[in-house]
Amino acid sequence: MAQAEIPYQEAIPLHDPHSWITKYWFSQDHKVIAVQYGITAVAVGLVALVLSWIMRTQIGFPGMFEWITPDIYYQSVTMHGMIMVIYLLTAFLLGSFGNYLVPLMLGARDMVFPFVNMISYHVYFASVIILMLGYLPGMEGPTGAGWTLYPPQAILSGTPGADWGILTMLASLAVFIVAFTMGGLNYITTILQARTRGMTMMRMPLSIWGIGMATVLGLLAFPALFVSAIMMTLDNVLGTSFFMPAISSAGAEHEYEGGSPLLFQHLFWFFGHPEVYIVALPAFGVVSDLISVHARKNIFGYRLMVWAIVAIGGLSFIVWAHHMYVAGMHPYFGFFFATTTLIIAVPTAIKVYNWTLTLWRANIRFTVPMLFAIAFVLTFVVGGLTGLFLGNVIVDVPLSDTYFVVAHFHMVMGVAPILVIFGGIYHWYPKITGRMLNDTIGRIHFWITFIGTYAIYFPMHFLAIPRRYYEYNVGESAILTPSMDILNQSITITAYIVGIAQFLFIYNLIVSYRHGREAGDNPWEANSLEWRTPQTPPVHGNWGERLPTVHRWAYDFSVPGEERDFIPQDVPRKAQA
Amino acid sequence: MAEAAAQSTGLASIAKDWSSDVTTFKGVPWGKAMMWIFLLSDTFIFGIFLTSYMTVRATTAEAWPNPSEVFSLTLFGTTVPLLLIAIMTFDLITSSGTMALAVNYGYRRDKKKAVIFMLATAFFGFVFVGMQAFEWYKLISEGVRPWGNPWGAAQFGSCFFMITGFHGLHVSAGVVYLSIISYRVWRGKYDDTNFEIVEITGLYWHFVDLVWVFIFAFFYLW
Amino acid sequence: MASGNNHSSQDKGNMAVAIFLLIIVIVSVLLSFFSPWQFTEIASNWGYIDFTVILTFWICGIVFVVIGLFMVYTTWKFRYRADARADYEPENPKLEWWLTIVTTIGVVAMLAPGLIVWNDFVNPPDDVQEVEVLSKQWGWAFRFPGEDGKFGTVHVDNIDADNSFGMNMADPNGEDDVLVQGNTLHLPVDQAYKVLLRSNDVLHDFWVPEFRAKMDAVPGMITYFWFTPTRIQDEPYEVVCAELCGRGHYTMRGWVKVDTQDDFQSWLGTQPTWADVQAATALDAMSPEAKRGREIWAAEGCNACHSLDGTAVVGPTWLNLWNSTRNLADGNTVTVDEAYFVESIREPAVKIVEGFSPAMVAYDDETVTQDEIQALIALLKESVDAPADAPDGP
Repeated sequence: MAQAEIPYQEAIPLHDPHSWITKYWFSQDHKVIAVQYGITAVAVGLVALVLSWIMRTQIGFPGMFEWITPDIYYQSVTMHGMIMVIYLLTAFLLGSFGNYLVPLMLGARDMVFPFVNMISYHVYFASVIILMLGYLPGMEGPTGAGWTLYPPQAILSGTPGADWGILTMLASLAVFIVAFTMGGLNYITTILQARTRGMTMMRMPLSIWGIGMATVLGLLAFPALFVSAIMMTLDNVLGTSFFMPAISSAGAEHEYEGGSPLLFQHLFWFFGHPEVYIVALPAFGVVSDLISVHARKNIFGYRLMVWAIVAIGGLSFIVWAHHMYVAGMHPYFGFFFATTTLIIAVPTAIKVYNWTLTLWRANIRFTVPMLFAIAFVLTFVVGGLTGLFLGNVIVDVPLSDTYFVVAHFHMVMGVAPILVIFGGIYHWYPKITGRMLNDTIGRIHFWITFIGTYAIYFPMHFLAIPRRYYEYNVGESAILTPSMDILNQSITITAYIVGIAQFLFIYNLIVSYRHGREAGDNPWEANSLEWRTPQTPPVHGNWGERLPTVHRWAYDFSVPGEERDFIPQDVPRKAQA
Repeated sequence: MAEAAAQSTGLASIAKDWSSDVTTFKGVPWGKAMMWIFLLSDTFIFGIFLTSYMTVRATTAEAWPNPSEVFSLTLFGTTVPLLLIAIMTFDLITSSGTMALAVNYGYRRDKKKAVIFMLATAFFGFVFVGMQAFEWYKLISEGVRPWGNPWGAAQFGSCFFMITGFHGLHVSAGVVYLSIISYRVWRGKYDDTNFEIVEITGLYWHFVDLVWVFIFAFFYLW
Repeated sequence: MASGNNHSSQDKGNMAVAIFLLIIVIVSVLLSFFSPWQFTEIASNWGYIDFTVILTFWICGIVFVVIGLFMVYTTWKFRYRADARADYEPENPKLEWWLTIVTTIGVVAMLAPGLIVWNDFVNPPDDVQEVEVLSKQWGWAFRFPGEDGKFGTVHVDNIDADNSFGMNMADPNGEDDVLVQGNTLHLPVDQAYKVLLRSNDVLHDFWVPEFRAKMDAVPGMITYFWFTPTRIQDEPYEVVCAELCGRGHYTMRGWVKVDTQDDFQSWLGTQPTWADVQAATALDAMSPEAKRGREIWAAEGCNACHSLDGTAVVGPTWLNLWNSTRNLADGNTVTVDEAYFVESIREPAVKIVEGFSPAMVAYDDETVTQDEIQALIALLKESVDAPADAPDGP
């Protein structure tokens, strides 16, 4: 058991791919896989964007377009939610950022199992295709059960897509989980085993901590979704009764007997709540690095930030039932889950304090990534604080299932992580392509996105009307007041504008690839290892002959007595003297 | 940062050891680390299967069929409860023993014996799957279906087929995995390593056995 | 260093961030106090819930303003200057401890009152009365326990066209249960009620915004919440379903009318008991073909949206529908004859009656055969107002 058998990846000969297919399509290079994940996630995200336009059009201007039927509306709501949470946010933050950053930031040649990593992407791609099968003619559309897919309605005929839509959704989720597991095993093993010399755990950039912890959460939480998808499929196809009690739906009796709809909800949220942090923790990590680099100051309270990530990750497994306060579970659960949920607010608040304290006495460069990072902090503060309303069981009672909830989760796990994704893309695009993104377009994109999303979601907190309604004033109902109507219309119009601005961003990505300004090796003057590759963009194997050796943490900015205001991680300590 | 707590003691020193040195986990080959993490994830899958089964069994309206009657086997005119399950469990535990021997011989670089014991393990696994198929056949011919059975709560059949089926898939995959690895060991693919691949395969196999113990306890003895 | 100059121009003097952050904080605060979108006026005993909401609002609002203004200050004061240099301050344990402690105190200040009110919410008082809410796709029905104060047992297997509650025929406790159809519930003011929630099919949620309380109805189990209506107003309070329950979710409305004790009792007296309903069924004078139509009406789920007693549910009622003239949403009119009726089943979205939504699924030839449609037409023809038709209470 000599140590020599696990070398620092230097003794392992690299096999460079020769054909175009193995270089760019079935590539085993983590950087190519990251870009593949990114492009696929953005493409599917554009589908979700269009779906959100459809449902906002219906809410803002009901009856204007007759083709938006209740079925179309509920299918759009469902697909928008599922795509954004799973196929965009999870896939982008872990599949794309995770793949790109983990080996580069740790000084590794690649992921430890590049072949499994390659398979992971293609299985993810398959899951996206399966998800979209519901839109094929003859499939009667995807499911319209809401992204939570609650039985019994998800598989009964009163819900659109109860035949094929729900099956393609469940199959797609199961396939996605397989893909995630293959990727996730790689990320964790790489983080634990393939760090370069001197890269101790407490010297890792916070991005890696966030991605690593989120991956652990994913590996432990996705099983619950996997199992419940299997059980719901069996209920649907074989007529088992895991989640199905005896029911009399639409006048017809069913053969179901004795199942428990609440069991599904428990399983779903045992996955679903950690899922929130699967999205949030990588965003926390990345934004910490962005703020530190562009504020030219070390991240404040690094150790506390690490422990906060670990604490949030651990606590996220014992808070799930706060999504079910009014679901009819035993009322005494409310005491326990309200307490755990509000405890999780403490480490989360600490992270917010530390981001803002990093800005204190900094020298803030308002680059485009920094703009997104600051916007993230404010958006996250709003979304986090409204979470304190919903996490406290009795406060949740009047607010649950209203637009307050919609506003809350869009702020905290919709807009906030997406702002980080944008910030991250603007930050690392120069490393990926060797060219800068256009700054002016970037600023326009930022201001429309930030102000626009805030204008969409902040006023939404005040709409005390039920969510997931196709139309409000039905019959004699007067639940929607005229002022609410105006608000709904203005939100819809803002949503169009924000959506269009995203095409500006995509234009920027494409044009700058050829025509962007040359970036150089380290345009942001950052410290972490990915900026220290011998070539930009990094070539296969990343580091050339010898892996870098790490001598310090990633946050040595503005060290007193130093000539430059940054010291990269691989600069030896003796150079300080 | 790292040198701040140079002479800490107790818990702090453990935390320091775990968090400071890059070589902490270096004694573990990548494949082994990855298998452990995978098994952790798989533990959650089976844990959730079993938790769901227990929840369903506790909340269902109808009575649960008596397992010692359902799973009895009639041999030579006498009905022995759980006989087949006892044989299956014994078979699987035996296979864990042969697997442990294979790992042992692997590290001693005794390729021949390692391969023989791995193939023996695969054989026991195959026998297990065969007996499980027989058990399914017997129950199906007695009228047990995923959506109902003659004796009580419909969820009995649902949970039984789902969980033993999922476990059976794991055993079948293990048999294939063992066969491939033993063939590769025989061919000499791992001659320049010290055969930790045998141990990695063994980790998976012992895990599948361990899961069976839980299924056995919760399904057949409860 | 050369690369550092690349972007120095764009870094300089950028005060936009601080200005916009300040505007956002100010607008957010103003909107919170002066927006036209506030809670509906409360009409139940749950003023404590409003109190916890307001308490949380103030604590969170102050934190938002403090953090927001702190960010405004830092982004203004510490914006990039070429000659400036950031401080080097890895951590400050004292400050971090203080922030942790203050945050914990704030969290406890919100959590403790919340849990006390939740304890009230889940424990109904001793003098509470019970009412059952039966939810189904997509409407509401209600049941009072009657004079004996006990509900009869129910099971979905008992549900058919004559027994929409699934009452257990053998249970004597059910005979005097008062069954209220048609989405409108009356309750007496200042009387605590425990609302027992039941669902025939999928998840629903009984919510009257003015009462603040809500709870999901879950098929296969009975859930509950309790409240005391405290305010009588002319308009009834609107019930909205607050849990997605299929394509008709948004149409699932109902009404709660809060009455004085006397008005409530006289209303309750007009509602039939289960014994009344059974007696009326026995006197049913329909032709066999129409009765077959009524079974199909129940079995195919027409009854979920189309009533036979004149109440408008999701779709138009079938009472007095045959041969009547209907105004369509597109401005045309149509006479309800066989051709229109068949079309409305096969392609329901083509001609929508004014005031209704295109929520119906199309039924093809395999689901509802031509023969079954004839039976339904027989039912329609006999569904007219007749003196002996409607079951009445004492």
